[in-house]
Amino acid sequence: MDRLTRYLYTVASIIALLALWYVGGVTLPEVIPGLPETYAALVVVLTTPGPYGNMFYFHVWKTIEMLFASLFVSMIAGTVLGVALGRNETLESTLATWIYAWLAIPSLVIVFVSAIWIGFDASSGYFAIPLVITPFVGLNMWEGTRNLDTDLAEMAEFFGAGRIQTFKDVVVPQLAPFLFASFRSGLSIGWKITLLVEAFLLTRGVGFMFRRYFDQYDLPTMMSWLIIFVVFLIVVEYGVLAPLHERVMEWRPEAEGVRVTE
Amino acid sequence: MEGALMATEERSAKSDHADSSTGMLELRDIVKRFEKPGQGEILVLDEVDLDVEAGAFVSLLGPSGCGKTTLMNVISGLIEPDRGTMRRGGRDVSPDDLSLGYIFQEPRLLNWKTVRGNIEFALEARDVPEGEWDGRIDRYLDMVNLGDEHDNYPTRLSGGMKQRVSIARALAIEPEIMLMDEPFSSLDEITARDLREELLDIWKREEKTIVFVTHDINEAVFLSDYIYMMNTDGEMFARREVDIDRPRQYDDPDIAKREAELYREFHEHVVD
Repeated sequence: MDRLTRYLYTVASIIALLALWYVGGVTLPEVIPGLPETYAALVVVLTTPGPYGNMFYFHVWKTIEMLFASLFVSMIAGTVLGVALGRNETLESTLATWIYAWLAIPSLVIVFVSAIWIGFDASSGYFAIPLVITPFVGLNMWEGTRNLDTDLAEMAEFFGAGRIQTFKDVVVPQLAPFLFASFRSGLSIGWKITLLVEAFLLTRGVGFMFRRYFDQYDLPTMMSWLIIFVVFLIVVEYGVLAPLHERVMEWRPEAEGVRVTE
Repeated sequence: MEGALMATEERSAKSDHADSSTGMLELRDIVKRFEKPGQGEILVLDEVDLDVEAGAFVSLLGPSGCGKTTLMNVISGLIEPDRGTMRRGGRDVSPDDLSLGYIFQEPRLLNWKTVRGNIEFALEARDVPEGEWDGRIDRYLDMVNLGDEHDNYPTRLSGGMKQRVSIARALAIEPEIMLMDEPFSSLDEITARDLREELLDIWKREEKTIVFVTHDINEAVFLSDYIYMMNTDGEMFARREVDIDRPRQYDDPDIAKREAELYREFHEHVVD
């Protein structure tokens, strides 16, 4: 499928969704917020003045700040944890069960417990969100480390590559796909937990906006905030992650047009 | 079993061209045991002796799993033997004292680096001054007929071309001795034949010493000056010369004859 066809399919799917939404809003007005009403609410949200020049900037920025700071911490902590588990059998047998136990704790419980321990402020969020995401990153990186190619390690050892060169040229490139997968799952899980934290504990951010308009039964405004953040996440994926991934994975043979020259 | 130790009757002829400054590499009484889960201790190398004459093409021939690769790894320093000595020119040497290149059974390339980048990896690891990199990369890629592939990625090359890159990488660090562990065994026969002939050209021209591991008797006879034969008990049971003039032809009846002789001998020692 060429680029233009793919693009047309994407546009067609958006139009189909909007049409369905419009029809749904007309036939089931109690369940689905009408398309025109949602559009009107979105315009209000986007144009209301507030801190940082605009109200929606402020809340979206607060959510992004908490989400990405937590992701940053989790990526480092999870990578260290995963690589340690993958390289050290003693550590692996000691900790494996606990990693799965950690993964089994519902995020809601972690958020509530953080609030009791730390209080109803942003610090609870900065504690709870990395705590939820880290094991997912760790699990991914653990898998990646177990798959490291021992033949390549032996090759590097034979040629006398030092630790830094081996890490940079042999280990990191093998872990790169796992880093991307970790970041993507961390982003999608993290954004949901950030929302929980903001809705339950805080008085700013997109999550707080959801709760506020939920209390007012204002479905169109809730939809507007949802749209804003989903658009933001799509921009991050297509604008940053996908091109970066493609660049890092440039060496992979393309599915079509593989050039074999012998 | 008494004939299973080193057979020495056929040696001597070639030892005169061994230069004393570089000299012959002599391995003596190399013993290596491995712990195998569920099978206890396995003797992989049983008091193995090996002479690698300077400038010679030496093959280690044996069935799969007979410890050939282990012996290579002892020479290369990737494995520490339990016992035994390695001497050269009358002095004890360690793998670090030797100038070695290694070509593995699989190309073992870094797929995320270009062909050039893969060779640079080895040059950087060996602390070769950066000023020499471009010259060496051009020279050795030309030598393996990959002069146009500097910026291509290994994932876009065929199996034979990948193995050529691996040969260029080993040559680029300019070793005296090249260790080659069944480098052509996973290639199709036509590609493998081309590569064998090119390898012999490079060996002659560059005056390298080559230690070549194989389980293919025909390949060993075609390539080697002399052949060491191993069995599955980790014993090196014979050294046999291949006195056939070079350049050799695949269809030379002398090769077929020598191959048949060695096969018979092999069969007696390896299959009970």
